[in-house]
Amino acid sequence: MPIYLAKRFGLAVLVAFCVSILAFALLRLQGNAAGALAGEGASAEDLAIIVETYGLDRPLIVQYASWLGDVLRGDFGTSYFFKSPVSDLIFDKIGNTVILAIMSLTIALAISIPLGVLAAVFSGSWIDRLCSLVSLLGQALPSFFLALCLVMLFAIKWRMLPASGADSWRHFILPAATLGYYITPPFMRLVRAGMIDALSNDYVRTARAKGLPAHRVILKHALRNALVPVVGLVTVQLGLLIGGSVVIESIFALDGLGYLAYQAIGYRDFPVLQAVVLLLSVVYVVLTLLSDIVNAWLDPRLRVS
Amino acid sequence: MTFRTTLAGASLGLLAALPGAAQQSENAVRFAYGQTLESPDPYFTTLRLGVILGRNVWDTLVVRNLESGEFEPLLATEWEWVDDTTLDLTLREGVTFHDGSTFEADDVVYTLSYAADPENRIVSQQVANWIESVEKTGDYSVRITTTGPTPSALEFVSSQLAIMPSDHYTGPGGTTDADLPIGTGPFRYAEYSAGGEIVLERFEDYTATDAKSAASLDRVSIRTIPDQQTQIAELLSGGLDLTMGLPKDQADQLAQMPGVEVQSGETMRIVFLQINTSEDTPNPALQDVRVRRALNHAIDRDAISENLVGEGSNTIDTVCFIDQFGCTDEGATSYAFDPDKARALLEEAGYGDGLTVELYAYRERHISEAVINYLSDVGVSVELNFMQPAAMRDAMRAREVELAQNAWGSYSIYDLSASTPVYFGGQPDDNALDPELIETLKDAGETMDTEERKSLYQQALKRIADEALAVPMFTLPVYYAGAEGLSFDTYPDEILRFWEFSWSE
Amino acid sequence: MADLSNSADPTATAELAETPPGRMSWSRLSEHPSLLIGGGIVILMILIAIFAPLLAPHDPYAQDITNRAVPPVWFEAGSWEHVLGTDQLGRDYLSRLIYGARVSLLIGFAAVSIASVIGTTLGLLGGYFGGRVDMVVTFLTTIRLSLPIILVALAVVAVFGGSITIVVVVLGLLKWDRFAVVVRATSSQVSRMEYVQSAKAAGASNFYILTREVLPNLTPQLIVIATIEIASAILMEAALSFLGLGVQPPTPSWGLMISEAKSYMFFSFWLISIPGIALATLVFAINLAGDGLRDLVSPDGRG
Repeated sequence: MPIYLAKRFGLAVLVAFCVSILAFALLRLQGNAAGALAGEGASAEDLAIIVETYGLDRPLIVQYASWLGDVLRGDFGTSYFFKSPVSDLIFDKIGNTVILAIMSLTIALAISIPLGVLAAVFSGSWIDRLCSLVSLLGQALPSFFLALCLVMLFAIKWRMLPASGADSWRHFILPAATLGYYITPPFMRLVRAGMIDALSNDYVRTARAKGLPAHRVILKHALRNALVPVVGLVTVQLGLLIGGSVVIESIFALDGLGYLAYQAIGYRDFPVLQAVVLLLSVVYVVLTLLSDIVNAWLDPRLRVS
Repeated sequence: MTFRTTLAGASLGLLAALPGAAQQSENAVRFAYGQTLESPDPYFTTLRLGVILGRNVWDTLVVRNLESGEFEPLLATEWEWVDDTTLDLTLREGVTFHDGSTFEADDVVYTLSYAADPENRIVSQQVANWIESVEKTGDYSVRITTTGPTPSALEFVSSQLAIMPSDHYTGPGGTTDADLPIGTGPFRYAEYSAGGEIVLERFEDYTATDAKSAASLDRVSIRTIPDQQTQIAELLSGGLDLTMGLPKDQADQLAQMPGVEVQSGETMRIVFLQINTSEDTPNPALQDVRVRRALNHAIDRDAISENLVGEGSNTIDTVCFIDQFGCTDEGATSYAFDPDKARALLEEAGYGDGLTVELYAYRERHISEAVINYLSDVGVSVELNFMQPAAMRDAMRAREVELAQNAWGSYSIYDLSASTPVYFGGQPDDNALDPELIETLKDAGETMDTEERKSLYQQALKRIADEALAVPMFTLPVYYAGAEGLSFDTYPDEILRFWEFSWSE
Repeated sequence: MADLSNSADPTATAELAETPPGRMSWSRLSEHPSLLIGGGIVILMILIAIFAPLLAPHDPYAQDITNRAVPPVWFEAGSWEHVLGTDQLGRDYLSRLIYGARVSLLIGFAAVSIASVIGTTLGLLGGYFGGRVDMVVTFLTTIRLSLPIILVALAVVAVFGGSITIVVVVLGLLKWDRFAVVVRATSSQVSRMEYVQSAKAAGASNFYILTREVLPNLTPQLIVIATIEIASAILMEAALSFLGLGVQPPTPSWGLMISEAKSYMFFSFWLISIPGIALATLVFAINLAGDGLRDLVSPDGRG
């Protein structure tokens, strides 16, 4: 187990390191870094000063090392557009994105676990077919289209919920419902498959044979086992949600990281974009690491290997 | 009927919805703007929202009365040109800044000197680069010396030169230690977060004058909502009290909804395609006058103006607003819509097989699309590059842009020096860099004699039109959609005077 | 090293084909109605895309700004001249919809072709050779998975400008992970099988074994993944275009049509619902066909 964890941790660090190189390259993709930093109307002398201050004349590898040093200290540089520290911007917005991600996930689990269980218990029946239809539709309906339809119904027609913004928890319901519905299918499939697997297991059959009520067998024995892989998917989806909320955050003008990144793309504000990409990747790496640790802890077979 | 509205919304019961006037009781206005403000400081943004905030949070020394066209006192009570290059001003006493400090001559000297120094890189150099020096001549009097005769000086003083408290900045580029910028205007900043919500509160100690009253609203909150449909949804669901700048179609449709009031107004904003004919142009075809004329002939400006832009839009033949001093289309070539002629001109220039150009735009995307379709009809295929204004401005200033769809509001300045020279007078946005034009416009900008100045401007405008250095299109009306019960006046300068807003009972 | 199927989407976990390819008969096909229906719709859409110039009643680019937003024929103000009405610039909506199928399908297929080549190659190498090679492949896949895909795609498109080519290349370079994961797992199973081992013993080259023995056994899985990925690529193109950073106007793309119609949605809902429904139908049909294929390939593997 310790060896496995050490290896897993080493891999995570290595991945994060490579992602940081990619993020650094992203800033350089756009070429004229000095010009962008100096802003418009900068004279040749201004540019020379910028090149010197930021050390843009040094070899790329040296620049990368010093950038990485800054990043590790929490300094992501200065936004081209807002002229304020990128870390301040991110600190301002990350809360909203995390709330959105957690709410979406909660909604997705609240839909997918009961439906997945039902589909497994009545495998092959019309309930099963209906569940797989719902799941297929979820994958087919573009999330931005669904979002607009929800706004039309809940914000305008029934006036139950706000159409945009992030002022209160009510503002998060529509975007979270959209994202939650969108990520429901993989959870549902996983719960269903896990349940079918668990229900066919010996111990469940034994429990049944002992005459335990069906719902107790299903809930207590089968579901607990079926949910083990769901933990892994939760962490992965949480990572994807935090990164995948660009479209939804911008539709709902929800002032989070995705919206910040979308704006940054519009302004060609590369330091912000770079920081968001790096941050989201690292969040994903950390989450998958956690999920592997949890899995190793839950699954004795992995512990010995 | 050119646009048919199918009120599918009606079947959904949308018509039954009434925007609530919840804000009425709170005496507040919630406003949404489509683009993100880069800085709360009006010297460091070119966005219209920045101009609006500049007027509401700050005061200028003098102010133009839009009805009479005369300048009126604001922070300065009297002013006088001592000679062609010396302007003396007497300042108002008893005015306080939002932080309680007293307004005096030092603040004026500090602000204008900061703005005039190119090292400090304010975004629009032309608003202050005519100032040679500012000196304090008493606790409440200052003297501005100009770099040369500057007939348009008061235009800038009355519009863009907001007065900051002395020692506000800590360095170039608008850096400051202050948490929130401070002015003397009828509203003060209560909250500002980059890209997020801005909240203004009434400044209780505002010194009201004939030209600018104290505010009646307690609070104005401003959000950035880039998507038009989200703005509309907020308006219809009562989450918003006011938006500006929706396109004609959406404004027409909103006007049919109960609880929403739509006002439209003519503005000074002109839409034109700027053509990069400079030596560094990424597309040398644009250096051929026949190609540029073809572009002019290819686009049906009248049809776009009438159908897509709507009432209050007029086609233009020169790159300036017709009521600006010096603006005229007399003698300037007007290019009629004539696709066949455009094709012939392209053929003649050697582009009969087609030509590809890149178009940059940052607003009115539906107009860009119409333009693209007209151009593709004569064999010019267009790649659209749609981006945020600040990014487009940087690209233009780097001369990387081939065609730029600009919508220029002249900072609401009624003088041609605020429009044509920005694009043809050798300033950073100039993508023609025509030496003759730069010379003529410079001379005109320094000529005090009105007739002579007019004729120099006319000469420049004629050259731009004859050489087809741009595709002038039309003026842009602006639509304001607001909740019923919100009363306010609109002005052609597109500046929302929140201090005049009130909720009716 | 961690089991990749933990990190990747577990729904993609491979199961080995029990039926060798080429033995799928019509009788078996008819047992899978989802494949028939889904596949039927997809083929219909492909035909529409191919014969777009013959089917479209008007030039999809011809604008008439004096005749804008004419509603479809089933509305009172509609006419048979423009069956689905005209858009905000007076272009025939049906023609744009028909040509839009081309864009969606072209991008879906082209991007996934690139992705499948990258992913399959990496997966084959990792699964077949194992050891160091496998470590590198797993590592690359992990990096790819940790990148926020939409954001990276948006950033690259923002730098290089939006066009069909850029969108195809970006999606192709980003969407290979599922191919790599599944092919790696399956090929490592296959390469341990007897006939592969005997081919090795007989002195066949690695290249021969990989292309002649291993790859054909993976084909059913590849087809299944490809359908899922095509659907996902089509949706991503739509999302990019919706944000204004994908296919650029005046190209008729369904995502772009939705984007252009969105500010009309509260008043002229049909403008947004027509391309929205077209997009959802195509993606639904592809996924349905993919589900059917999965059943066909591994009858018990509906996981």
